[in-house]
Amino acid sequence: MGLLELLIFIPLLAAALIGAGLPGKVIARSAAALNLLLVLAAISQFNAGNTLAHSYPILDNPAIAFAVKADGLSLTMALLTSLVLIAANCQIGEGKPAIYYVSSLLIAGGAMGAFLCTDIFFLYGFHELALIPTLLMIAIHGHGDATNRRAIAWKITVYLGVGSLILLAGLAALVVALKPASGLTFDLAALMQSAKDHPLPAATQAWIFTALLVGFGTLVSLFPFHSWAAPAYATAPTPVAMLHSGVLKKFGLYGLIRIALPLLPLGAKHECVQQALLWMLIGNIIVIGLVTIHQQKLDTLLGNSSVMHMGYIFLGIAAGTQVAINGAIILMFAHGISIALLFALCGRMRNQLGTLEFSKLGGLAANAPFLTVMFAFGTFASIGLPGLANFAGEVMVFLGAFDSNINDGFKLIHWATILGLWGVVMSAVYMLRAYRNLFFGKAASGHFMSDPVITQRVSLVLLAGVLLVVGCCPGLITGLLKDLTIAAP
Amino acid sequence: MITLNDYLLVAGILFAIGLAGVVVRRNIIVIYMCLEMMLSAANLTLVAFSRFHLVDGAPDYAAQSLVFFTITVAAAEVAVGLAIIVALFRAKQSVDVESVTKLKG
Amino acid sequence: MMSSFSIEIFLAVVGVLLIALDAFATELNRKVVPWAAIGATGLALILMLTRSADIPAWITPFYATDSLAVFYKVFALVTTLIVLIIALEGDFITAYFSSSEGVKTRIGEFYALPLIVCAGMMWMASAKDLVALFVPLELVTVSFYVLVAFTRRSAMSLEAGVKYLILGALSTGVLVFGIAWVYGATGSLSFEGIAAAASKPTTNAMALMLGAALLLAGLGFKVGAAPFQIWIPDVYQGAPTPVTAFLSVGSKAAGFVVLTRAVQAFTGDGSQIATQVGNALLSAAALTILLGSLPAIFQTNVKRLMAYSSISHAGFMVLALACGATGTVAFYMGTYLPATLLGFLLLVVLRTQGVGDELKDLAGLSKRSPLLAFALAVAFASMAGLPLTAGFMGKLLVFMAAISKAHYGVVALAVVGAAAGFYYYFRPILTAYSPVEGESTKLQVSPVARVTIAVLIVGVVAVGVYPKLLQSVLK
Repeated sequence: MGLLELLIFIPLLAAALIGAGLPGKVIARSAAALNLLLVLAAISQFNAGNTLAHSYPILDNPAIAFAVKADGLSLTMALLTSLVLIAANCQIGEGKPAIYYVSSLLIAGGAMGAFLCTDIFFLYGFHELALIPTLLMIAIHGHGDATNRRAIAWKITVYLGVGSLILLAGLAALVVALKPASGLTFDLAALMQSAKDHPLPAATQAWIFTALLVGFGTLVSLFPFHSWAAPAYATAPTPVAMLHSGVLKKFGLYGLIRIALPLLPLGAKHECVQQALLWMLIGNIIVIGLVTIHQQKLDTLLGNSSVMHMGYIFLGIAAGTQVAINGAIILMFAHGISIALLFALCGRMRNQLGTLEFSKLGGLAANAPFLTVMFAFGTFASIGLPGLANFAGEVMVFLGAFDSNINDGFKLIHWATILGLWGVVMSAVYMLRAYRNLFFGKAASGHFMSDPVITQRVSLVLLAGVLLVVGCCPGLITGLLKDLTIAAP
Repeated sequence: MITLNDYLLVAGILFAIGLAGVVVRRNIIVIYMCLEMMLSAANLTLVAFSRFHLVDGAPDYAAQSLVFFTITVAAAEVAVGLAIIVALFRAKQSVDVESVTKLKG
Repeated sequence: MMSSFSIEIFLAVVGVLLIALDAFATELNRKVVPWAAIGATGLALILMLTRSADIPAWITPFYATDSLAVFYKVFALVTTLIVLIIALEGDFITAYFSSSEGVKTRIGEFYALPLIVCAGMMWMASAKDLVALFVPLELVTVSFYVLVAFTRRSAMSLEAGVKYLILGALSTGVLVFGIAWVYGATGSLSFEGIAAAASKPTTNAMALMLGAALLLAGLGFKVGAAPFQIWIPDVYQGAPTPVTAFLSVGSKAAGFVVLTRAVQAFTGDGSQIATQVGNALLSAAALTILLGSLPAIFQTNVKRLMAYSSISHAGFMVLALACGATGTVAFYMGTYLPATLLGFLLLVVLRTQGVGDELKDLAGLSKRSPLLAFALAVAFASMAGLPLTAGFMGKLLVFMAAISKAHYGVVALAVVGAAAGFYYYFRPILTAYSPVEGESTKLQVSPVARVTIAVLIVGVVAVGVYPKLLQSVLK
């Protein structure tokens, strides 16, 4: 059993142990910490030239194997997962039922499996581990009144269920279409070889790409399949909101970069598909941006902003150049960390203050200087201030997108880039306004907030520190990505 | 001269009468009789086909052997079926299809 | 070393002997017959796994021993074994509802009949000939008439029995009439002869089509394919739960194996009616998936919900059949077994603890018995086709079979059906994990039930993550 298998099984095993009645807090936190150490070990192994690949066949026809392999993209995502898992576990308060730990570990373990497996079967399968825990957590332990949170829980479940079934149909079509001479296979490398040797006709690629785009897009809350996201994140218990918005949502983007772009290059470049994608991501940035500006509560504001920021990452994918895609990957990482940080703070504020409405709050900085600083990190990262991780990603996405095919004239993608820049301004407007309303100004009576205990502080500082370090040295991530070739030649 | 088609026509009419009876009648015993009529129609068809299907100048008796099985099965079915219908009558004092409408949804 | 043929005879003989024993040895402990039946089935399963390949020569013209037959024979034995355990678990409920008031009845037949049914199902798996198909099929059906109406003091069971009787007899009539016409058109009763005649231009295509349509309708009734699925919800809900489990797994599988053989005969190379049969199966598959999935959304009774679920699963299997993927049909059946039997076992265990089978009765289950709640989650997740459970493998293979034949429209409908499944299968899970107000008593689960539940959970997960297990049985 190699390092990568351990990364997947440790959270799942920990979840099983806690489910069997062992103490949640200790096991969950040690599993999360161990996972982070192992990810770092895996990264150093990878930098030393070891891909840690293992493969265990589970079916011969079609050929399916539990195959894991490390590369820059999957390790970046694994690092994100383990960081957010630690922070999420530290947000689970004393006396919470075991299901909090079990579901956060299941979601993280599933995400880990999805990111590290190189077989489409497991890549898809692990992601679905989150479906039932998410439903149960939102419906039973979510915020708000019971009827409402149940409805929201069903909404996210049905959306993600339908999205993943469309995705499954698309993946099945892909596997069938790319069948090599040796028989059906789910192995990505074999499919890649087959796609190189016998490229599919452009029309076939286009419609399979469309199915994958709709399927993955629903999981990432691509406009107009986004309406599950904001209410679900606003309602979900804090650890679930952190893991879902920070990690799990990146699975759809990961899938597009890992499967759809390399296997269906002509599909991605197809005129209609590209236009449709651009319009949809403009919808994410502009329409959802405007919606976000109008939010009066912190939780829905964060939920909507996380939908909006997906637009930038889609822009990188739509551009398809190496720079833009590397930028998208950094942005996936940075957004995951920053939104998890913000949801962690949001959860704490909800617990202590009882409300998140801007009109009822103010002046929190006076008693909670630490949280004020942390929130500043999240805010500035999310609006893309230089020096924090999101900036590097956004710049690379915009440069890459603007640069693509600029010699052929000014096209929709360039308009989308310009609108994206306006989106950054919108982010600045709503995030800074939220920050000012909550932490400065006149303190509202009856709402008091204090700084958290040391373990929570450590977990938050960890996230903020990562934002700062990656922001100052984006080379840490781009170094991992240097051998990654996604873009079609 | 009676041809294969005559047999098939009679059998078809029998089958149709049986099927119609199953659909329109309300009394479970009558429905059950109609079901038996359908089986008889099938048997008649089988016998007719096998009589007119000549192998080396002699009728093909393979299908006729199936008829014996069918008759046996029909007898078993009647034995079990009537027992169930009697149990129903004991419980409900009725053998009308209206008496079995509890399960729905 | 026994041949599979002798194992079937053995089972039928033991079944008859146990009925006699139950009738005449009145002083016997009431647990003897059930355990004897379980023991005989277990023994037969061991004998089956170590069987000798040779069978008497006289039987080969109508008795197949190919991999499909062997798979379904093992399948029938495993199903019967688990069903007997489920029945034993719910013994006192069955006894209560099958005796006249105040009279303590022995219910040995309830355990002996499944052995006879099992022998019939194993025989069906080997049918190479319409006679060899018809006789065991009726053995199974008539035994089921008795089993469905067994708890005759329950009005629901009696009503289910009457409905099953009428519609079952109707399907028998249609089936025999179909057999007659197929014989008339092809001059043969063996599947080989039918396939050969179907490709000859001299064969009357209209007569063959009439026969094939009636035959497939008769078999469609047995497997619960639309539009012949109407009996399923009522009968499944009304029948004693162990019998429902047996019907929905065993009877359905046996129906599918003969359906597979019949379809293979009708759609062989150059068959005149291959296209029509293929299209009919495709439409039936689409209709079955929809008529199973959509009404399931509105069910409030778990047993009835599982009845609709079994219709929808039948739709997926018919779809695989329409794509010519007979191995996939068997595989799907194999993935369907553990989850479905687990679900029915849970219903019986809950029932013995006074928990009804309405959806709302499940509330707070996770507090009252974490094991049962978890087992419920696993069973329904697998039925919904969640990855890493058995059910997903089955659905995936069906999707791939349909896509490789370019039946995109049906795939789209199947996606709709599976998506609806996410709702109606997750609803019981959510209910079971929802907290309830007030004190709740812990539920007792007997050791036998515990072991069986654990084995079935392991089965669901093992087939889901290591499907080679099942595939190796199919080889």
